[in-house]
Amino acid sequence: MPLMSRCCSRRNRRTFLADVGLGFTGLSLGSMLFRDGVIRASETGVPDGLPLRDPPAKRVIWIFLSGGVSHLETFDPKPLLNEYAGKTYDETPHQNPQKLPIFLERSRSVVGFDRDVVSKIMPLNVGYQKRGELGVEVTDWLPYLGQVVDDLCIVRSMYTTDNDHGAEFQFHTGRHTLDEQQPTIGSWISYGLGTANQNLPEFVFLGQYKDTRVKKDFAADYLGPGYAGVELSLDPANPLPFGRALEGKTPDRQRREFELVNKLNRITAVEYPDDADLRARIESYELAYRMQMSAPEALDLSQETAETQGLYGIDDETTAIYGRRLLTARRLAERGVRFTLVYLSDYGEWDSHSNIKELHARSCKRVDKPLAGFIADLKRRGLLDDTLVVCATEFGRTPGLEITSFNKAGTGRDHHPHGFTVWMAGGGLKRGCVHGATDEFGFHAVEHPHYVTDIHATVLHQLGLDSRKLEIPGRKRLDVDHGQVIREILA
Amino acid sequence: MRGVWTGLILLVVFCLPLHGEDSPDGYLKTVKPLLHERCLACHGALKQEGNLRLDTAASMRLGGDSGPAIVSGDLTASHLLERVSSSDASARMPPEGEPLKPDEIEAIRDWIMSGATGPENEQPEADPRSHWSFQAVRSPRLPERVATRSLNPVDAILDARREAAGVTLVAEADRATWLRRVTLDLVGLPPTRDDLHAFLADTSPDAAERVVDRLLADPRYGERWGRHWMDVWRYSDWYGRRSVPDVMNSYPQIWRWRDWIVKSLNADAPYNDMARDMLAADELKPGDDTAVVATGFLVRNWFKWNYEQWMKDNVEHTGKAFLGMTMNCAHCHDHKYDPISHEDYFRFRAFFEPLELRQDRVPGLPDPGPFKKYVYAQSYGPIAHGMIRVFDEKPDAPTYMYLKGDNRNRIPDKPPVTAGIPSLFASQMPQVAAIELPAEAQYPGLREFIRREERAKITAELATARANLEVQQSLNAQANEIRLAAQPVADAIPSAAAIVAAEQEARRVLLPMAATTRKVEEAEARLASLEARIAADDARYRGQGDPAVLTARAHAAEKFAALAAARLRRATALTNLAALTAANATDAEHQKKLAAATAEQTAAIAAEAEAEKQSTVPGETYTPLSPQYPATTTGRRAALAQWIGSDTNPLTPRVAVNHIWRHHFGRGIVETPSNFGRQGRQPSHPELLDWLSAELIRTGWSMKAIHRQMVLSAAYRMRSDAGNESHTAGKIDPDNRLYWRFNQQRLEAEVIRDSLLAASGQLDETMGGHEIDYAQGLKVPRRSLYFTIHGEAQMEFLDTFDGPSVVDCYERSASVRPQQALALSNNELVAAQANALASRLATEIPASGEVSQTDGRFIQAVFEQILGRAPSTEELGVSLTFLSGERELALAGTAAAQGAVPVEQAEAASRVSLVHVLFNHNDFVTVR
Repeated sequence: MPLMSRCCSRRNRRTFLADVGLGFTGLSLGSMLFRDGVIRASETGVPDGLPLRDPPAKRVIWIFLSGGVSHLETFDPKPLLNEYAGKTYDETPHQNPQKLPIFLERSRSVVGFDRDVVSKIMPLNVGYQKRGELGVEVTDWLPYLGQVVDDLCIVRSMYTTDNDHGAEFQFHTGRHTLDEQQPTIGSWISYGLGTANQNLPEFVFLGQYKDTRVKKDFAADYLGPGYAGVELSLDPANPLPFGRALEGKTPDRQRREFELVNKLNRITAVEYPDDADLRARIESYELAYRMQMSAPEALDLSQETAETQGLYGIDDETTAIYGRRLLTARRLAERGVRFTLVYLSDYGEWDSHSNIKELHARSCKRVDKPLAGFIADLKRRGLLDDTLVVCATEFGRTPGLEITSFNKAGTGRDHHPHGFTVWMAGGGLKRGCVHGATDEFGFHAVEHPHYVTDIHATVLHQLGLDSRKLEIPGRKRLDVDHGQVIREILA
Repeated sequence: MRGVWTGLILLVVFCLPLHGEDSPDGYLKTVKPLLHERCLACHGALKQEGNLRLDTAASMRLGGDSGPAIVSGDLTASHLLERVSSSDASARMPPEGEPLKPDEIEAIRDWIMSGATGPENEQPEADPRSHWSFQAVRSPRLPERVATRSLNPVDAILDARREAAGVTLVAEADRATWLRRVTLDLVGLPPTRDDLHAFLADTSPDAAERVVDRLLADPRYGERWGRHWMDVWRYSDWYGRRSVPDVMNSYPQIWRWRDWIVKSLNADAPYNDMARDMLAADELKPGDDTAVVATGFLVRNWFKWNYEQWMKDNVEHTGKAFLGMTMNCAHCHDHKYDPISHEDYFRFRAFFEPLELRQDRVPGLPDPGPFKKYVYAQSYGPIAHGMIRVFDEKPDAPTYMYLKGDNRNRIPDKPPVTAGIPSLFASQMPQVAAIELPAEAQYPGLREFIRREERAKITAELATARANLEVQQSLNAQANEIRLAAQPVADAIPSAAAIVAAEQEARRVLLPMAATTRKVEEAEARLASLEARIAADDARYRGQGDPAVLTARAHAAEKFAALAAARLRRATALTNLAALTAANATDAEHQKKLAAATAEQTAAIAAEAEAEKQSTVPGETYTPLSPQYPATTTGRRAALAQWIGSDTNPLTPRVAVNHIWRHHFGRGIVETPSNFGRQGRQPSHPELLDWLSAELIRTGWSMKAIHRQMVLSAAYRMRSDAGNESHTAGKIDPDNRLYWRFNQQRLEAEVIRDSLLAASGQLDETMGGHEIDYAQGLKVPRRSLYFTIHGEAQMEFLDTFDGPSVVDCYERSASVRPQQALALSNNELVAAQANALASRLATEIPASGEVSQTDGRFIQAVFEQILGRAPSTEELGVSLTFLSGERELALAGTAAAQGAVPVEQAEAASRVSLVHVLFNHNDFVTVR
């Protein structure tokens, strides 16, 4: 978060508040920007920084699986697919879901191409069973998550409106690629809540990607780069950009240099006593020094026991990479990082246009144990009480198999924005719940359908924020950006 | 005064016309603002749905088609209350957005019950068309002092406002501060020590003017201001799926547009001319590639996957960049605040509807081939060596209106709209007329350089072929010699193995003869074909010769060249096959090759026969030397450009000078530079905005003239602090809306990086050219604007200092955050500059006298070089202490793990440290 931000279109809310004379002017920076508390949603007017109630969640760990996870073969299996395998929708006694008006409404193509229009139903590629006390259907590709299903809150009725991978960014910004772009959920939270730990960035991205479009998942757009996610590498020796002292520069020498910087800055401050930027700059050097010193500790997984590491699958090559990311996310949560985006896949990893049986089985294997271990670990440490976990993907996959002029394999499922599953846990949500449903084919989200910003609204609500209170002058947000809190899943 | 300003800001932010704040009935405090925000877009001056206006209490009592909206004291008769509190969503008002909240409805109820009165003389909302920015620019009458005391008009206008408010200026900044300010502002790099010393020593009255003239003439001015305008015009290198790679947005050759911006600014090209060129140089200056490259402004918006999006971006950003109009708000429905209808939006879009991209060949570079159109599921990487530009490909493409911002929702039975500017300005609309394009613009193959380069290419091939032939002919002689040498043996024993071997060897040597000859013939035929095609082009496009005859000749020559090529192919096939046959190998690999060569020979023979047949068929076609494009262009964009660039356009000059002003003074006269509409902010100094606009037009749209006026003003010379305790301006106008002091600003990301390099003397001042991979940003010492920046990523260092968003950057943020401290301290680029500067100064300042004296001179020089000023006594003191302290630690072996170091090394290291510290000084990244 910036200590100070001067601009108009990318307006710092606090600066703006000061502008309109609501009383922030003159408050010392320390008390204004570095409260260890949160700005709660107030019922009327702009946020005033005074807590109205205790929000159930203090922080968010937002896990993303890129490429489009088959809801059908994870948390929303449908027996009908096996029954009608090989038939077109019209050949079944059921309503053809492609002939409903919502088919077009919920699918706005960027590339000028409608998907899955004349496809045959593909049977499930994996078995499933009822798991946990609730008896939630979970497929056999997720044996570990099946064991913690009673701690999850599964929303089976998500939909989005882009039938291509722009949906990934849409999941984070709330807007279709063809519409005006918006800040991501993480940056709104960073903007709305500020930091709980001055020594670490409050919005962190953990993951790796070759495709730089992934940055759109943690960009801040008009809020300004100061609210974008900071990429932390998992290497404690070099954790954040410019986070390691130059070769040959001892910590002592660097400290002395920083001291001189601020000594000189303070001399200037005497001449320019009204310069708030200068005061912020002085503080930024103190913070920078602390950040550089404390980030390596936060990322040092060797401090964790072998048992904990094993829980996350770090001892197994298949699961080690994602296990490390999740364990790191937990450590960051413990240290007050507000919002950690864990990118738990390669870009597009789940995009199984063909060979879905092999590819999804492999990807499930890579995340199943780490995710289950992560939930169990949060729970046993009591962190799940006030940490909200979201595990999402950009869309589901078609109940029909994919056959097109350029993909004749017939062994995969295509993109499916009409219905998919997201699960959450902790942070004041019900433990063990299934909310909403798709139709009998798993095609349309029909019962309690939720657009992606409903997840945003729910997350913000649990943090005590109301996105309508985060409006920026000159930036028009629409109702759809704010979404609706999914009240049915709140504890 | 404070109250007034707060009121003004509230008014602008929430668009609430608060006229009096003490209305007893709560109408002005609650009800009116609520109605303004939620209702007036449809029931106010802009629109009167149901013939109802809700902008005054009187108009509400009067009501509309359904009767009175309010009846004093009668809740049931007050339709307004009924409609806003209806539980029927289809009847409830407002129709969009959330229903009014209970307390808001309650306020309306209370007001009705308490009499539903408004203030006396309540004025209805003004006609939106009378909004200030839509009115003609009127140069204000300046106070007489301007003429009599040669007062800068900028100051005259600012003074008048300050005087009225009782605000006085703070003191002028010292000259060093001004020099650094103006140098960074105009060329984006700090002044050198020499610049500083020269200016401080120059006591002549026009010293400042000469500095300004020098800086404006400096080519680095174009780089500095180019970057500013690149923000506004949304410069972006190509992106989409860089990792594939797949070009989807913008285009690889777009850097030529960047270079055009820099060059145009340096040449002080008229602003309106630049705007016109960016929108329509292909129509206004066809054939002039140096201008046509300006259409990069439109190329940048191109989105391969979806041309709807391209059109949308063209409308939105033409509106915002040049007109300060939020046309985009009328994409889905009539504009809620400005008099821009839904249809106006689509009429504006129709200017761009015929667009397509093309890539032209550039002298000295390979032919990039035709522009590749989008085909689903096909991707292609960057084609970097052409010139990308727009043209009208589809003159008849209809522009259909649609609803909800989704082109699938076309309004049924609505005919396509025709191109036009917003109806608000209808009387200013220039005629749209198709424009005949010069031959070279529709057919670049007519250009001399293409002919020259094509000729040169074939001529070179021909020369090589002939040289090869000569070599081959000399081998003929060699073969004869081999045969002659074997002759005595042959005479004796005709079947001797030696003879067979000699004959084989002779044949091997002679084998390529046919193909080599054919190659010469082929190149000759191709050259002849080229010349014939050129002659035919000249006949058809330039009236030189008989087109029919020359076309037929070109056709024949091309067919003959094809035949020559077929003959060459056959000869080559024969040669290859014979060589393989002679090789006498038997392995599988050889057999495969042999089979392939046999097949090729068969094919070549067939192809030759076909070519032979074709060569005798007369025809009227030949291959052009380049792609050909329509002979006319619609002239739509030309008309739009003429309107935008017209001296009478009320918006263009105001928007332009406002951008220039905000970069010099840290804040726009209009603080919403991309929105001059009713929802944008009011100008703080309307007279100033208009005077500058008029001046821009009067000087032939010279931006340099405007810079000069601004930076030579007294306002620009002020200190940036609030003055001492007794100075009252800060109490009256804490936000400095009246410019009683200078607004200090944090430097933009690029300026910080460039200044590091300039201060150390390491900056590579090469201008222009292909973008450089941003991953090289910490190693390659070129200016920052030359590094890749696009919708997927930019240089991390620049991002850390709020580098521009390529999507929308009408303004930049300027944050202060800890990552910036890390980026300046733990950065190899900064460290390298610290080393370079320290060693440079070490040679410039030889040690003499006490160490502390040398240190003192060093400190003086470093402050001057990095901060553009001398150190204060106190700064000198702490710096001296730092240097000696570092040195002692080093000498004692406590500072570094490796133990004590020699004195020279300790001195050098301590000075590098000090330089590094000053690069981290707040004022290094600040314009004071």
